[in-house]
Amino acid sequence: MNAKMRDLLVTNFLAIFLGLTASALMILFLGKNPNDAFGILFSSMFRDKYTFAEIFVKATPLIFAALSFAFTFKANLYNIGAQGQFYIGALIATASSLFLQGRMPGPLALVIIFMLTLIGGGIWGSFIGFVKAKYNANEFLVSMMSTYVALAIMNYLLRTVLMETKHEYPQTNALDTQVWLPSFIQGTRLHIGFILAVAVAIGVWILLYKTTLGYRIRVVGYNSDAARMSGIDANRLYVVAFFISGALAAMAGFTEVNGVQHMLLQGFNPDIGAAGLGIAILANANPIGIIFAAILFGALNVGGTIMGQMSGIPSSIIELMQGFVMVFVILSYFVRSELETRRAKRMLAVEND
Amino acid sequence: MMNTPFFELRNITKYFSKVVANKDVSFSIEKGEVLALLGENGAGKSTTMKILYGLYRADSGEIIMEGVERKINSPKDAMALGISMIQQHFSLVPAHTVTENIILGNVHGRIDRKGCEREIGELARTYGFDIDPKALVKDLSVGVQQKVEILKALYLKARLLIMDEPTAVLTPQESENLMQFVHEFTAHGNSVIIITHKLKEVMAVADRIVVMRNGEVHGDLKCSDTDEKELSRLMIGRDLIPSKRAEDDESADNHEVRLEFDNTSVVERDQVPRLKDISFSIHRGEIFGIAGVSGNGQQELCEVICGALSPSSGRILLDGEDITRLTIRERIDRGIGYVPADRHKDGLVMDMSLAENMMLKASYGKKWMHHGLLDTNALNNYTNTLIKEYEIKAPGPEAIAKGLSGGNQQKVIVAREVDNGSKLIIFDQPTRGLDLGAIDYVHKTIFAERAKGKSILLISTDLSEIFTLSNRIAVLYKGVIQGIFKRSELTTEKIGLLMAGYDVNKGCTDER
Repeated sequence: MNAKMRDLLVTNFLAIFLGLTASALMILFLGKNPNDAFGILFSSMFRDKYTFAEIFVKATPLIFAALSFAFTFKANLYNIGAQGQFYIGALIATASSLFLQGRMPGPLALVIIFMLTLIGGGIWGSFIGFVKAKYNANEFLVSMMSTYVALAIMNYLLRTVLMETKHEYPQTNALDTQVWLPSFIQGTRLHIGFILAVAVAIGVWILLYKTTLGYRIRVVGYNSDAARMSGIDANRLYVVAFFISGALAAMAGFTEVNGVQHMLLQGFNPDIGAAGLGIAILANANPIGIIFAAILFGALNVGGTIMGQMSGIPSSIIELMQGFVMVFVILSYFVRSELETRRAKRMLAVEND
Repeated sequence: MMNTPFFELRNITKYFSKVVANKDVSFSIEKGEVLALLGENGAGKSTTMKILYGLYRADSGEIIMEGVERKINSPKDAMALGISMIQQHFSLVPAHTVTENIILGNVHGRIDRKGCEREIGELARTYGFDIDPKALVKDLSVGVQQKVEILKALYLKARLLIMDEPTAVLTPQESENLMQFVHEFTAHGNSVIIITHKLKEVMAVADRIVVMRNGEVHGDLKCSDTDEKELSRLMIGRDLIPSKRAEDDESADNHEVRLEFDNTSVVERDQVPRLKDISFSIHRGEIFGIAGVSGNGQQELCEVICGALSPSSGRILLDGEDITRLTIRERIDRGIGYVPADRHKDGLVMDMSLAENMMLKASYGKKWMHHGLLDTNALNNYTNTLIKEYEIKAPGPEAIAKGLSGGNQQKVIVAREVDNGSKLIIFDQPTRGLDLGAIDYVHKTIFAERAKGKSILLISTDLSEIFTLSNRIAVLYKGVIQGIFKRSELTTEKIGLLMAGYDVNKGCTDER
């Protein structure tokens, strides 16, 4: 194992450990025993098949949301509208599911729903790239505000055309089991959306590092002047990058609606976008790293909820824990670069002697 | 006085993450002395001076002032000891006046603007500088801006003035004025350290010369005891064989025209033209040099050819085809290569590998594709051949561009553009900031490409480069071509006047 890989593993584990230690201190301040709390946190994750599988259920939308942020981040663009793109995706997935169910075989319907979600989310996202390219609008602000628009559209539709047949609650009818994403482990909620998420993450990696489109997106991100001088049309790439980013976030809507909730309701998963952003940073925007970071966050979510129920510690401590872990992981980047520098200096000293 | 020098550096050693920038550097400077710090780029000259000025901290070593050890941890400490440094890139606020810039950081509370302006006006007159203290810095030419920097040092009562490549941006006449000031300043018992790699300048102005190479001192000589030949040998560690001068083959005129400018202007509404009525043509197998002080339209000229800037009137023809309205990519496809002046901004993606930088202009083609994916192996192999061919000092094709020295980065761009530019290659300041070895290499490449029948547009502020390489020379001043000459028709003096806007026959042509 080379020194770089060793640094990566050691510093990351150390960061997670320090993050948990800092959280333990906070639990201590609450007058609870952190040992017991962590005992419950970790043992509960593995107490049965259902709970363990739940980790991956929770990780699935996080992977998509994080990929959405990471993809534009590689082009030096900030898409912080993943939450809104997720809502648009959820809306399209719900509406098209309700329309298509019963009219065709389930798998075919799912493929069409998937495609529609992808295209719709992409178009919603590409609007941000379009106004940036055309009017030099700040993508940070536009993407942030687009979330509120998406939220308003969702609430409007949930109270009008998509409202359940009984017209009581702002939510849709439940979807037919026919258009549910099938579970692949009996007795759990783990659906094939997780496999899709992992495949998409690998796909994003290939797109970024193995295709000319991804190459150009990275060139524009690192140095848009050099890109322009090389005949690369940065404006077009802004639109393309935001299309892909929007489509990725919308996919989380698809897996949540068709895989977990089987309906759309008001105030649905309001933290996906923010959590995705954190995970992307945690993984240094590396698509493969995102898979693992999302699983870590999923695990903390699942364990934290149970810990809250069993030990009387508010489950919001989990968000604190995630925050601490993130801070230490970010610090570990600097530690690693320092280690790298020292190693280089040592090598240099040896050469000079 | 000889036994206690004004300032002395003892065994200064400084490491940057991966390189030794300074190793056991020791030298001293006396009062009233002009010391030249000579060396190639990357020799550690600027680093040493930045340590003396408190911008960097040495890993080991001592700084001694008049026999007493001093700790210099910031430019503020340095200024308190009477040290001032004028950086290569000026640190002035363009939107502020001369006075505001000079008093910046040295006034507190209420500012007596009138008083300050008077004081600075007097100071300028004492040294014969023609500067209006109320003028905005952005309206001043580069030469005058440099004087403002000097004035700032004088205002702070500097006794040791460090200048980093002070003449790089000046016309020959302005340089001469600067040298006069240096003599005057040191005559009052002050000291000057000039960082430079120009041998002529060193011989003209310095009392003593410290030669650096690879972060170490390789010579500490009195100017009167040495000559340019010895200095250049100390500087590069071997004798340099100068590249052969361009042969004066007038036959280039008879070759077909490759690039033609037809009355091209770049004027933004109600603005001073950035380029005005440019007409010239470059033949096959010809090196066409453009001389001029930087900022007189060179950048615009390049961008108009490569398509980044569209002219407001006029046409540009390549091999008879009108390319005025073609996009950058279409022009690249037609065989125009461009080595930009600002290689960090326009030429390289610093955070990407050498291989990735090699395919920068080929990302739309099928050249590096294999089954729809990037053929990393083929690209790496190709990059490896270029690394060998151009003697680029790099660990391999996967090395990140920013880890390379300036000269090697430039070789990467040159390698790529020579390959791209099958018809015309634009070299904008191709050797600025490079060491002599790399300069020599770039010059040889330019000759070799010309010999293949390619046309070369060479833009340079370095007159000796223009004279060595060009078949014909045009002088650009404020966006206007002052004249096109065969090389033999020009002298350094004549070209200097043209560069400053004087018509050699009629006097000043600057009517604005």
